[in-house]
Amino acid sequence: MFSFVSKRLSLMMMTKVCCFQRNFSSALPPLVPVKLPSKMETHFWYVLPDEVKSESLLSQYSELLSPREKKNLYHMQGDQFKKSALLARVLVRTTIARYQTNCQVNPRSLKFKKTIYGKPEVDWENGDKWCPPPLHFNISHTSSLVACGVTVNVPIGIDVEEKQRRLKNKILAFAKRYFSPDEVKLLTAISDPEIQRQELIKLWTLKEAYVKAVGRGFSAAPFNTFTIRARVVKMGGFHHFDTQHSEASEIVVESSDDPENLTRNWQFALLDLAGSHYAAICIEKENSAGGEAGVPMRLTVWKTIPFVEDERVSGTGAVVPISGLIKQL
Amino acid sequence: MASVTGTSACMTSLSCSFKQTQGRISSVNSVSLSINGKSFPSLRMRSAPRFRVSCAAKPETVDKVCQIVKKQLALPADTTVTGESKFAALGADSLDTVEIVMGLEEEFGISVEEESAQTISTVQDAADLIEKLIETKSA
Repeated sequence: MFSFVSKRLSLMMMTKVCCFQRNFSSALPPLVPVKLPSKMETHFWYVLPDEVKSESLLSQYSELLSPREKKNLYHMQGDQFKKSALLARVLVRTTIARYQTNCQVNPRSLKFKKTIYGKPEVDWENGDKWCPPPLHFNISHTSSLVACGVTVNVPIGIDVEEKQRRLKNKILAFAKRYFSPDEVKLLTAISDPEIQRQELIKLWTLKEAYVKAVGRGFSAAPFNTFTIRARVVKMGGFHHFDTQHSEASEIVVESSDDPENLTRNWQFALLDLAGSHYAAICIEKENSAGGEAGVPMRLTVWKTIPFVEDERVSGTGAVVPISGLIKQL
Repeated sequence: MASVTGTSACMTSLSCSFKQTQGRISSVNSVSLSINGKSFPSLRMRSAPRFRVSCAAKPETVDKVCQIVKKQLALPADTTVTGESKFAALGADSLDTVEIVMGLEEEFGISVEEESAQTISTVQDAADLIEKLIETKSA
C-alpha cells in the first residue's frame, strides 16, 4: 500500500515538473499539438529547406539541439547540407514533442539513443519519464527536403530522394552491384534510359525504407538478398483506395534468405512528394497472422515549418501516390 | 604532418613507427608524443583535427580515397578532405556512400562486404579497409 502511495506521489510530482516546462523558449510560440496516429496509421511530416529563409528562425532552431548535435552540425561542410541537417534534427524533435497529450514536452529536452543495431530512437529515461507514447519514428533528408515519419506500436522506415538524382555510376552496373537478380532483370528490360533511372531511384528508396524499418543495419539485409516489386491486386470496391482503377498495385518484398516469408509483415507506400521527391514509407503490419491482403496504409501528410506553420497536404497535389495501397487522410 | 598533393590537401596519418604512443589523443590542438621511450614536448597544431595514431594506410591510398569522395559528392575544389573527414559530415547520404564504395572497388580492384562497408565512417577507415583487402587478396 505504501509503495502505491509513494509511486502516485512521485508520478504527480514528475507530471508537474513535466508540465512546468511550457515556456521553453520565450521567442518561439508553442507547437501545435497533434493526436498520436492510431494503429495502421502513418504520419508523415516534411520541411522544404528553401521555405525556411529567416536567419533568426534558424538561429532559434539551433538552440533546440543537444550539445552533441550542435557539434556534429559544426563539423558539417556545405551550407545547404548543414541547413538540411539542422532542419532534420529540428523536425524530429518538434514532431515528437507535438504528440505529448498529457503535458507539454520541450523539444530541446528530448534525448535520443541508438539500438544495438544503430537505429535511432527516443531515450525516454532521462527525459520526460512519465509521458512516453509508444511512438516510432524515422527520418530521411536530402538538401532540398527533410522528412520524418511517425507510427505507433510498429516500426517505420522512410527514405526520400530527389527525383532528378543522377548516379555517378552507370545505372545497370549499379543495379548489378547492389540489387537482386530479379530487380536487375526488371531494370534491364526498360529501354528508355530516363525511365530506367527513375525506376532505379524509386527502387532504391523502397529498399532503403525497408532496411531502415527492419532497423538492423545495411548488413543485416544486404540489398541484393531481397526483391521489392509491385504486384497488382484486384479489388472489389472502387473507392477503397486513392486510385480510381479497380486494380491497385501492392508493393511486396521477397527475401531469398527468408523462406518463412516473414517479409509478408511489411507494408509499403511510394509517393511523389512536393513534385520534387520520391518518398518511400515502410511499416510493419500490426497483426501478421495470415497477413490480411489489400489493407491500405492510412496516411496523413503535413508540410511544416516548425513553430511557424503546419499544412496538411495529404490528398492534395503535393502528395501523389505512385504505388502501394494507400488511403490518404 | 601534411603533404599537399596537387590541388587537394590531404593529411596523412602518422606512420607505423608511432605505434608506441599512448592510445588516443584527446585535446584538439596539442599533441604530446612519446617515441621509443623519449618524450617530446607538446606540438601545437594550428587547426588540427584529432589524430588517430594507428598503423595506417599509405598516403597515396588516403589521397585516392579523398579524390573519389570529392568527385562523388561534387565538393568544391577548396573543400578540405582529410583522413579524419567523416562521410556523413561531408554530405554523403546512403546512396552516395554505396556509390563511393563502388568507386573504390573499381579503383582498387577489391570487393567490399556489406558488413565492412557499414563500419566505415571516415576517409581513413575506407583507406585502411582498402589496404587490408588488397593485402588479403595478394596473400
